[in-house]
Amino acid sequence: MAAAIEIEHLIINYGAHRAVDGLTLTVPVGAIFGFLGPNGAGKTTTIKTLLGLRSPDGGSARVLGYDVASQSLDVRARVGYVSEVNSLYDSLTIPQLCAFCRAVNRTWNQAVVDRYIQVFGLPARARVGRLSKGMKSQLALSLALGSNPDLLILDEPTSGLDPLARHEFLNKLVAEIAAAGKTIFFSSHLLSEVEAVADWVGIIRHGKVVVCDELDHLKQTQKVLKLTYAELPLPAELEALRALPTVMSLSQEGRTVRLLAHGDVAALAEAIQARPYALRDVDTVDLNLEDLFLEYMKEGEHGPERTD
Amino acid sequence: MPQWLDVNPRSGVPLYVQLVEQIKHALEIGALQPGEQLPTVRQLASELTIAPNTIVKAYDELARLGLIESKAGVGTIVVMNLNGTLRQQQRAAFFERVQALIRDAAHLEIDEEQVRSAFDAALRRFYHVAQGEEGAK
Repeated sequence: MAAAIEIEHLIINYGAHRAVDGLTLTVPVGAIFGFLGPNGAGKTTTIKTLLGLRSPDGGSARVLGYDVASQSLDVRARVGYVSEVNSLYDSLTIPQLCAFCRAVNRTWNQAVVDRYIQVFGLPARARVGRLSKGMKSQLALSLALGSNPDLLILDEPTSGLDPLARHEFLNKLVAEIAAAGKTIFFSSHLLSEVEAVADWVGIIRHGKVVVCDELDHLKQTQKVLKLTYAELPLPAELEALRALPTVMSLSQEGRTVRLLAHGDVAALAEAIQARPYALRDVDTVDLNLEDLFLEYMKEGEHGPERTD
Repeated sequence: MPQWLDVNPRSGVPLYVQLVEQIKHALEIGALQPGEQLPTVRQLASELTIAPNTIVKAYDELARLGLIESKAGVGTIVVMNLNGTLRQQQRAAFFERVQALIRDAAHLEIDEEQVRSAFDAALRRFYHVAQGEEGAK
């Protein structure tokens, strides 16, 4: 599978603070990739690096095959970018803003921009300052498509939008842009929107990737196995469970043990039932993205890391 | 959107699995018939606001099961209904569940006789109510 973005062992320092700490991530071509993490995890810093606005202090990143440090002009010419802060010129009308963008872009296709302006139903001749926040986001997205990019990088594109405007934005993103084969990389705080529209997710924490996988695959392979023992399980047995290759973490409360497991959970459940300790109940719990996110945030520094 | 489609992105069940299951169910109950056309990937992505790749994955899986076929210029067509194969699977699953119940009973130290009388009582209750003999306890 070809990669639209390949980040390897990326390190970014802000003075003494390490904002990105050995981050490794691959975004396949054609994916809608949801980039998640708590505040300060390094999402925006990573995005700035991808756009060549910040040089790596270690490691490397390639965007559409171009090195972000040495070929940042090539990257910027081929990537559409929408930032969380709207940086459109309020005093211009939409046609004036388009003319300005055409002047500063090496390649510009006004017909494409006009089409998206129409798709979003934006008032064609309006002054930018008059537009609602939702309309401004839609305009920014339309303009980002003017250079006919293969990859769109969106930094919290729906933050501050009301639910209706957000739905409209995401709907067009999916139906018009992703369906046309473009790769979309977007950061977000809203797990529910990522869960709906993304087919890949990457979760970062403390500048590192904790998980990067196809969302459906993640849901299929990451489950919680809830074991209820007949008698209080022995510490040695808990250690044995923790050491099983498909067990990622374990927590215990009395006779109940919760295992975060990946891979073939049914086989794991069978293997555990064959062990010499009586179980009253074995329950497999499906996890949605919010559950998964919280499970990953719970894990300590020594918690497992996966990037398969 | 077809009425029989109702996906929930916030479920722990992968979206493409939900799509596959619901389309299979529509075939089972006859809501979808052989020769009928499924929505295009773009139409469905737009209706449901979900990633086009997810729909492609569901359609691929259904094609692999021999239930639908995608033809260039024609679209995606239903080629087979399920003629009760789901029902057969559900029947097999039922007997497995009975087995699991008995295993659970053994774990809970409920003996054979107690299980049998519980089953008998449950059967009596169900069929008496079904026959309208609600006076019987």
